[in-house]
Amino acid sequence: MNARRDRLWLALRFRDLPLSALDAAESPEEPLVVAEKRKVVFSNPRARAGGVVDGMDLTTAQLVSGCRALARNAAREEEALHRLRDALYRFTPHIDIYRSRRAPHAGLLLEISTCLRLFSGVKNLGDTLLAFLEPRGHDLRWGLAHSSTGAWLLSFARHEITGEETRRLFTDRLDRLPVQVLYDYPGAVEALVKMGFATLGDVARQIRSRSMDSLTRRLGKEFTGMIADIYDIESDFTQPSLFARPVTTYVPDQPFCESIEFDYPVSEVEHLRPAIESLLQSLAEFLQRRQLACQHIQWRLAGIHDRREALDIHSDTPQSDWRLLFDLTLIQFDHTPLSFEVDCLTLACGDRMPRRDSSLDLDFEGKRRRGGCPRELAVTLARLKARVGDAAIYKISYRDSPLPELSHTILALAEKCAQQLPHSHRHGLRPAWLFAEPQPIEKRGRRLYWQGYLTPAVGPERVAGHWWRESVARDYYLARRQDNVAVWIYRDLYSRAWYVHGVFS
Amino acid sequence: MYIQFLLVTIMPAIPESPRPVLLEQLLRRDDLWRGHSRRFTAQPSVDTGHASLNGELLHKGWPLGALVEICQRGFQGEWQLFMPALLALHPGLIVLLNPPAEPFSQALLQAGMDLDRLVVINAPDKTRFLACFTELARTSGCGAILGWQPRDHFTYTEVRKCLLAASEGAGLPILFRPSAVQQQSSPAPLRLFSQVVPDGLEVTVFKQKGVLQRYQPRPLVLPLPPAWQGAPPYHVLDRQPHPDQKRGGVPGTDIVDIRESS
Repeated sequence: MNARRDRLWLALRFRDLPLSALDAAESPEEPLVVAEKRKVVFSNPRARAGGVVDGMDLTTAQLVSGCRALARNAAREEEALHRLRDALYRFTPHIDIYRSRRAPHAGLLLEISTCLRLFSGVKNLGDTLLAFLEPRGHDLRWGLAHSSTGAWLLSFARHEITGEETRRLFTDRLDRLPVQVLYDYPGAVEALVKMGFATLGDVARQIRSRSMDSLTRRLGKEFTGMIADIYDIESDFTQPSLFARPVTTYVPDQPFCESIEFDYPVSEVEHLRPAIESLLQSLAEFLQRRQLACQHIQWRLAGIHDRREALDIHSDTPQSDWRLLFDLTLIQFDHTPLSFEVDCLTLACGDRMPRRDSSLDLDFEGKRRRGGCPRELAVTLARLKARVGDAAIYKISYRDSPLPELSHTILALAEKCAQQLPHSHRHGLRPAWLFAEPQPIEKRGRRLYWQGYLTPAVGPERVAGHWWRESVARDYYLARRQDNVAVWIYRDLYSRAWYVHGVFS
Repeated sequence: MYIQFLLVTIMPAIPESPRPVLLEQLLRRDDLWRGHSRRFTAQPSVDTGHASLNGELLHKGWPLGALVEICQRGFQGEWQLFMPALLALHPGLIVLLNPPAEPFSQALLQAGMDLDRLVVINAPDKTRFLACFTELARTSGCGAILGWQPRDHFTYTEVRKCLLAASEGAGLPILFRPSAVQQQSSPAPLRLFSQVVPDGLEVTVFKQKGVLQRYQPRPLVLPLPPAWQGAPPYHVLDRQPHPDQKRGGVPGTDIVDIRESS
C-alpha cells in the first residue's frame, strides 16, 4: 500500500493575517493598510476600493486613499498562526504552518485523510471546519489537493468542497493555474513565460513527456522538486514510499497548571505543605511521562477576598523530580510569609525543556559518593541565595580577552565555566587575587608606594590591544612590597601612571 | 599455663573463659574513651601538599570536619598554603566566603583548579556571614569553605558556632582572621599564623588540639614559587655579595629607578 497516494491536504490561507494579528481597532469605513519597509503588504476592502494594491509604496497608498497605516508585526503573525494551529488540532493532528518566502501569505496545511471517517467524509469535515473558523472573522481561502503544495496553490482558485474530488480532478485544477502562481520563484516564472509556458499544466506535461532533467538543468533542482511535490510525481525509485517525506504530527503545548482548593482558609505555611507536596508530585509525574524537566515553577495563591499573589521558584539545574522543588518552595515561603488567608493554591509550570540524561563514568573510587548529595547542596545554596540575594553567589569564569579584567567574568551557578586558557595566558605570571578596579600607586620621590614601598622584580610583560574600544598598552611587573608580599603592578604606557592590579598569594 | 591446664582437666563443667581481647580490637571501638589526647584517634585529613607542614600536624594533613583558623595580616600566601589540599579534595564544592578580592580565573586555571567547583559568596554582614559559614560547613557536598572574617569582631561564641557546624560536616572549613586575634582565646582546634617572609611563606602552628605545646612554636618556612623571586636590578647586583658567599635578602627597596623612559 502506498500511503503517500492516499494523502489529502486541505490548505487554509488567511489573507488578512497581517491585519488580524495586530488586533487593531478597525471600522469597515476606514481605509487601513499594513506596511512593511514602506510597502503595502495588506489593505482592507475600503483601501482597495480607494485604489491601493499590495506592493504599492506606502506614501502613494496614503495619497490615493487617505488610509491609516499600521506596521507589520511578523512575531504576532506567528503567534496568531500558532493559536490557529492549536484550535484546529481538534480536527487533525497533522498540521503544518506554511509561509511564503516572498509574499505576506501564510496559512495552515492540514493532512485530513486520517480523519475522514470520523467526520463522515471530506465535505462534512470541510463544512465543520469552515463553520468553526467563521466566528473568528478571518478572510479565509482554502484549497484541497492530494499534495500540500498543490492544496496551497489551489487556495488561490476558488473551488468548493463537494466530496467528489479525485486525484485526477486535483491534477486538472492544478493544470489550469497560471505559472505566476509560483510567485516564490520569480526567476523561474520569468524563464517559463519566456519559454512559452503559460500554465502549470504546460510544465507538468513537459516533465511527463521529457522527464524532469531538462527542466532541472534550466531552472534548478529546487524548482523542479517543488513541481514534483505539487503533482506528487514520483522519482525513479523502486520503492518511492520509502523516500516519501513523513507527515508532521503536531503535538500542542500542554502547560502544567493544577490547583487545590482548601475547605477552609489557610493562614499558616505549615498547613500548605501537604498541598505543595501533592501538586509537586503531580508535576513530577507530568514531567517524567513526557521526558521533560523544568527550572521554573510558579505558585499562585488566591484568597477569599479575591486577593492574589504569585511566588516564583527557580532551580539552578533542570528538575524532573519534585523533592528539590519542594525544598526550594519551603525556603521561599519561609522568607515570604503568607500575607492573607489562602483559599486556593495553584502550581503552574510553563517553561519546560527536554530532559537530558547525561551519561556518567563508572565511579570505582567512590568519588561521586564522597562528593555529597547534590540535592542537599542545591538546597543549601538556594537557602543562602534567599539569605544574601542571587547576585551575591556566583562562579568565576575565563573569557578570551587580552585585558586581564575583561578576561575574567562572573557567572550564575547554573552556567558552565570556560576553562580553556590560550597559550599566551598559560605560562604568564598571574596573581590569585585580582582587583576589580586597579589601585593607583603613589610615587614617593623615586619610589613606588602602595601600602608599603614596592620593588619591581619580574617583568615587564607587555599587554596591549583592545584598540577597537579603547586602546590599552600596559607593562605588567611582579613587584615585592616591603612586607615581602608579591603584587601585580602595571604601568599604563599612555598615562604613564602605575597601578596595582592584583596580589600573588 | 599449668594452672589453666589443671582447671580445664579438673573442672570440665566450668565454661571456658572468654578469649583474650587484643588492644587493637579495643581501639577499634567507637565507644571507648581514650583520654584527652587525640594523637591516637583516626581523624580524616587531607594532605597539605607541604611535607614539613604535614609533619607538624597531628593527622599528617589538614583535619577534615574541624575548624582551621588562620591568623594573618591582609594577603599572606593563602592560596599557596591551601591550593594543594583544595585540588586533592576532588570532588566537592570550594566556597570562598567574603574573599578580600576577586579570585583571578587565569591564575586558578594555571594551578589546575576546576572553576566549576568554585563558588564565591559575598555576605554583607557578620550575621549572614556566620549563617552562610555554618550552613555550608554542615553540607556534605561542600569540600572546603574559605571564609574571611568580616570587619566586625567575632566573639568566642561565634567562632564556637563555626566550630560546631564544622564538626557536623566532613569538609575543610577554614576561617581567615586578622593577625590581631592571635592573642585572643579561640575554640578552633587548629590555629596558625602565616606571613610571607623573604625566603618563603612562614607558617606557625600555635595551637593544635591534642598536642601538648611544651616549647615556643617553631615557625616553618614553605617555599614560594621560584618565578616570584625574580632577578634583582642590575645596579643592585654590584652591591650584592658574590654568589659563593651567603646570599642576602631581597635587595633594598630604596634605590629602585622608576624614571620615565621616553
